[in-house]
Amino acid sequence: MKRRFDFLPYALVSPLAAFIVALALVPAGVTIIQSFYRVQELNPPTRFNGLDNFRELFSDTAVRSSMVNTGLYVLFGVTLSTVLGIIMAVTLQRHFRGRSIVIAVLILPWALPGVVEGIVWTGIWDSNTGLLNSVLSSLHLIDHYQVYLGQNRLLTIFAIELVHVWQITPLSTLLVLAALQNIPGELYESANLDGCSPWAALWRITLPLARPGIAIAMVQALIATLNVFDQPYVLNGAAPTGASVTMQTYFISFQNLDFGAGYALSLLITVATLVLSLGVVKLVYRSVEF
Amino acid sequence: MRRLGVAFILLWSLLPLYWALNTSLQTDAQVGAKPAHYVPPSPTLRNYHTLLGGADEIPDAIRRSTVNIFVECGAATIVTVVLATLAAYAFARMRFRGRSVLFYAVLATMAFPAYTTLIPLYRILSTFGLVNTYTGIVLVYVSGFLPLATWILHAYMSSLPRAIEEAAEVDGASRMRVLWHVVLPLARPGIISTAIITFLFAWAQFLFPLVLSSDLSTQPLTVVIAALQGRHVVPFSLLSAAGVFALAVPAVIAMTLNRYIVSGLLSGSVK
Repeated sequence: MKRRFDFLPYALVSPLAAFIVALALVPAGVTIIQSFYRVQELNPPTRFNGLDNFRELFSDTAVRSSMVNTGLYVLFGVTLSTVLGIIMAVTLQRHFRGRSIVIAVLILPWALPGVVEGIVWTGIWDSNTGLLNSVLSSLHLIDHYQVYLGQNRLLTIFAIELVHVWQITPLSTLLVLAALQNIPGELYESANLDGCSPWAALWRITLPLARPGIAIAMVQALIATLNVFDQPYVLNGAAPTGASVTMQTYFISFQNLDFGAGYALSLLITVATLVLSLGVVKLVYRSVEF
Repeated sequence: MRRLGVAFILLWSLLPLYWALNTSLQTDAQVGAKPAHYVPPSPTLRNYHTLLGGADEIPDAIRRSTVNIFVECGAATIVTVVLATLAAYAFARMRFRGRSVLFYAVLATMAFPAYTTLIPLYRILSTFGLVNTYTGIVLVYVSGFLPLATWILHAYMSSLPRAIEEAAEVDGASRMRVLWHVVLPLARPGIISTAIITFLFAWAQFLFPLVLSSDLSTQPLTVVIAALQGRHVVPFSLLSAAGVFALAVPAVIAMTLNRYIVSGLLSGSVK
């Protein structure tokens, strides 16, 4: 007997499929194809122009400088959020009274909008009224108030990325913590019996066995930092000392209305994201079995 | 050691927020003091009054954009959760042709940075006259949040025991009745997690609405506050009050419902 065709699963998944195809896959395809076209809303026609968009991008000093900036955001952000995430996760590894409250406080910065976090941290970095200047000069570590944003590029990017790290570290911590909680307690007990110090246990047991969690945490930090927009936009505006590649994409597309170059730059970020994510997974991820 | 770690986590998470609150409760003259006031010398709600009360341009924009952000986040959350629940049920419990292709296509979209699709989405919406409309913004949000929502709910539903559903089916219940009366009640914590995470993501959006909405008829709070920040006439104490106001809703959600957030973020991400 022939089975009747089952419509139900198709009915259930079709709205999802429609959204994914129309508003994710088709746009992604448009970005890839139109990167190789001249697309200027105010100056038609649209036509194929090979690698011209990419040439234009690489000869634009603002774009090149934003690539260096984004490289620094990635470097600072992935390093800091991973190190802090591991420290915080190890702190929370064992149960203690009040742990759930600490976790609630921990995830708070993750839950808040990045733009508003930028405004909040302006109150810390500000050169006239900021908390940092006030504290440092009360401690006599500086004789007059300093400017942290917009002058020295490394300092500016570090200060902005710290604000971003504040937002992304909670997720890193949770991902590492989840991996830590899969580690059987007996491992630590027998290590302790064998005379292994807690410090050695951290390096020999905890970190190696947390590698899957650390790898995922690093990938999420990598994707977030490669695409950082809100924090530099709010804290430093369009200034070349801090503008990220995503910000340049926005300026090129929606201020200069040069969509072709915007597509090309989006494509470059996407490719960089995919390649670097795979690299991190290859480098850090090890499957772990207990 | 642990005490030190806990103290660090609390200080790290709360100090910047305390500082914004502290600034928002001072007058602009007090904010300019050197050294700064570490607690408000004479706490005042005047900034919040200026921000929200009266008929001036700023309170008008704040009130309007608050309505907008609630409408956009609420609608995006409802649509995302409903569609993701239906699809996750099919993925978790039914076999059909094209199932894995579609499932992996959904997952693959999560690997792409969201901003990859910003320009084409803008142009698609503008073709259909949906730029600067609630519909346009909600459609874009839903398309962005559906993959993660489907993933979380799929992981959750796959972990539920099948026995109860099978018993209901043996008793002659249709699959939609099983979904409604058996699966949905069991999957409630997963659905709540998904809804909270989706709502928080929607609340935090900035670049998409910056591009997709052009005036106060649809601009959410985040966009309006960033625009205030760009104007030098707005004193920093007032800006801090605006920041605290925009943080209040997600902060309360995060503090009270963090259990659901943690379990949702971790379901399926590790293992």
